[in-house]
Amino acid sequence: MEEIASRILRLGVLASTALVLIGLALTAITGDTSHPYGLPDLDWIIRGDPFLAPSHIIYLGFIILISTPVLNIIASILMFIKARDGAFAAIASLVLLILIFGFTLGVG
Amino acid sequence: MFNIGFVLEALVISFGSGVLGALLGLGGGVIMVPLLIFLLGVPIHIAAGASIVAVVATSSAAAATYVREKLTNIRLGIFLELATTLGAVSGALLTSTIGEGILRVIFGVSLLYAAVTMLLQVRRKGRSWTQTPNDWLAEKLGLGGSYYDAARREEVSYGVSRTPLTFGISYVAGVLSGLLGIGGGGIKVPAMNAASNVPMKAALATSNFMIGVTAAASALVYVRNQYCDFFLTAPVVLGTLAGAYVGAKFTNRVRGVVLKRLFIAVMTLLGISMIMSGVGM
Repeated sequence: MEEIASRILRLGVLASTALVLIGLALTAITGDTSHPYGLPDLDWIIRGDPFLAPSHIIYLGFIILISTPVLNIIASILMFIKARDGAFAAIASLVLLILIFGFTLGVG
Repeated sequence: MFNIGFVLEALVISFGSGVLGALLGLGGGVIMVPLLIFLLGVPIHIAAGASIVAVVATSSAAAATYVREKLTNIRLGIFLELATTLGAVSGALLTSTIGEGILRVIFGVSLLYAAVTMLLQVRRKGRSWTQTPNDWLAEKLGLGGSYYDAARREEVSYGVSRTPLTFGISYVAGVLSGLLGIGGGGIKVPAMNAASNVPMKAALATSNFMIGVTAAASALVYVRNQYCDFFLTAPVVLGTLAGAYVGAKFTNRVRGVVLKRLFIAVMTLLGISMIMSGVGM
């Protein structure tokens, strides 16, 4: 379990750092400072908007970075299930739920 | 808002913050946020947004090592994460409703609190904890742990006591994390160590393990609600990681006590500055 957690963390940090670095560099080079807020949707594709701004790459990096600990929680849930540790599988699942809940809650 | 000079300054500031944080094993956002506020003139919500993402980055990078060394008490960590993530989501949602001035004061007070706890720690000699058995909750959940202490060359096992208290303190740490964009380790570690009698090394490792998830919980809310200024957050993340990487290489070369005193002084100074600037708003 420790090995998997460690690897996920490593990969996550590496991948996200690379993306953030590339995105930032591209922003500096191209001077394209358009902001990515708003998830890509059909509208964009229909309008033919160039929806890969450098800031999208940064955004992707952040998403991966923040997801890394979340992935770890999921991995731990599976480990606990495998080890037939019902109590902790439940606890870890609750934590996951809280994380998802937090993400879906908007402030308005 | 993009400006190369701004980005470079952010890189330098976060690099310094990263180095200090790595050298002292503490200080996710606690130095970063005030520095961003005072040196770059960034509003506290934006500074917190940048800081919290950086905290996820550095704690994930650090935890990758800790977990392998088996110092981390994963079960205790996950159990306490219930409290911290609940707190983090609460705090992150609350933060938009609280004014800059008040947030600065809260931040300053937290800094002073952390400085005081560090001061009290430096004084203590010998063992940093007393061995006690699990309390009823810890026994039920199997929260006690053990690890091999290479420095002392002994297998150390410990029980976890006053679990509900630490749970409550972890909740508060989570709220502060979401509210201020910090890791919260400065509160969790003393709680585990002093309240629950977890040895310092295990407390530090476990806290690091937890901070990633707590910060992720806060960060999710921040990003979801668009508090993150991408062009500030990006250099801050990169700078902090680079700084932490460099700082980690030097941890053995610098004397711990001297650094701690320096850090306590810096935190006290920043804490008072934050309070004063917040009151003036």
